[in-house]
Amino acid sequence: MRTIGKTALWAFLLAAALLTLFPILVTLLGSFKTNAELTAGATILPTSWQLSNYAEAWRQANFSAYTMNSLFVAAASTIGILLVSSMAAYVADRMTFAGKRLYIGMQAFTMFVAIGAVVLRPQFELMIKLRLQDTLWGVVLILVSAHASAFFILLSFMSGIPRELDEAALIDGCSRGRTFVKIVLPLLAPGLGVCALFAFRGAWNEYLLPFVFTLSKPELQTLTVGLASLKYGVSAASQTHLMMAGACLSIVPILVAYVFANKSFMQMSAGAIKG
Amino acid sequence: MPSFLLTVVLGIYPIGWAMRYMFYDYKGYGAERYIGLDNFARVLRDGEFWQSVVNTFAYAGGKLALSIPLALLLAVLLNRGLRGRHVLRAVFFMPTIISSAVMAVVFFAIFNAYNGVLNQFLLKYKLIGGAVDWLGVDHAMLTVVLVSVWGAVGNYMLLFLAGLQNIPADVYESASLDGANKLQQFRYVTLPMLGPVSQMIVMLAIINALKGYESIMVLTDGGPVGKTNVMFLYVYKLFFPTAGTGAASQVQEIGYGSAVAFVTAVIVGAVTVLYFYGSKQMNRYA
Repeated sequence: MRTIGKTALWAFLLAAALLTLFPILVTLLGSFKTNAELTAGATILPTSWQLSNYAEAWRQANFSAYTMNSLFVAAASTIGILLVSSMAAYVADRMTFAGKRLYIGMQAFTMFVAIGAVVLRPQFELMIKLRLQDTLWGVVLILVSAHASAFFILLSFMSGIPRELDEAALIDGCSRGRTFVKIVLPLLAPGLGVCALFAFRGAWNEYLLPFVFTLSKPELQTLTVGLASLKYGVSAASQTHLMMAGACLSIVPILVAYVFANKSFMQMSAGAIKG
Repeated sequence: MPSFLLTVVLGIYPIGWAMRYMFYDYKGYGAERYIGLDNFARVLRDGEFWQSVVNTFAYAGGKLALSIPLALLLAVLLNRGLRGRHVLRAVFFMPTIISSAVMAVVFFAIFNAYNGVLNQFLLKYKLIGGAVDWLGVDHAMLTVVLVSVWGAVGNYMLLFLAGLQNIPADVYESASLDGANKLQQFRYVTLPMLGPVSQMIVMLAIINALKGYESIMVLTDGGPVGKTNVMFLYVYKLFFPTAGTGAASQVQEIGYGSAVAFVTAVIVGAVTVLYFYGSKQMNRYA
């Protein structure tokens, strides 16, 4: 009886794991198949490993530019989010100022109230006024403005750092700015690391925002946008192998990061509900 | 205070912007005209919108009904000393870290009727007679729900796990001393003690299910014939009509779109509040 139960348990878990991994495997393996083999289907491993898919995607289908754009957006917005939210968390935790409650309330508000695509339009028009609508800086700026979750994560890390440390520095004549850079930031490092992971993943995976901003500028598209536009293309059926290779370009970096840091990824998501 | 500035300018201002245009007739160009509540009257008569509301609830309901029990089951199974549980957890959580837009492209290749991977497989092993049009009128909603479940289970599993780990082990000990078997333990110890946490998880899941549209947009673009058109996708298309397939089927409707967006926000809010009070009542009588 016990062994039957155990077998059933494992069968269920393995089946579930297989179902979970199936689409990812299809992508990874499919990226090495020829288009003919893909459309004929029914093979699991590629009959011959086609590295040329990547070369073709990279050169002809513009994926080199897409990757660069994705890297730029992800890196720039990660740095921006870390800068802005660490300063905000420091100030919000250690100082009192007029409207502090209102400010924290607004942060929570932007996190929970979602009215969807509506905000994209005024955001876009603001970027036109700033003359940023034709650059990826506009996308970066909007991504940085959505830093509420990083702010709250850092706020909770902040309250874990003993006040005495930075107060001592202030009493010793250290300026606010120097205290922040020399004392607070190093102690905040673990929190910053997790936030960076999340901000990078979010920006790297973002679809709608860069999509809307690059409607008239295909050369600025990120990986996600470029990939989805392949699907809409007239020759979509003949480009399945390119889609797979492109999807891999987008998935693999995150997957590698996940293999090394899956603890942090999972911790953070679980922490969201505990906090 | 760069944070303050950014939040106000790019977070709060657009909401105020939309609030204003709710009352205007504005199509993105030309004159804007104040028309009071006419936009809202139009929302009430808009059959396409209410169809998208129905679709949203079908989508969200299907997603919840599948993903929450599955996530809870996986969490319970992987909570206690099973070998390889860390690896399995990592595997189940994996879909949540991948871009939903990218996965939608991949799933499109899998579910494609004519040369999709899934149909080829099923045909080869004679599990189906002919090609199934997974993204066609009959199955599109099911497919969209399955894809979203694939992306969501891992996340909710993890949240349930976090909740399970807060239940002290001695409660189970005393239950088994009193002669409760595993199933009884689950029913009378795990479920009640998980109550508050699951209430939050389900709430989160409801909100996420109601507002998710990115993967639907890439996978089916609301089609075929509006079968998978959800509320937020409908709003999006009022604002960016040419985006998506490239077919300009609609005119840009900024004023009307804002009004529709407001109504959707109210619907989501109402569902959340209803659920919140409903589950509170249930707790009291349980």
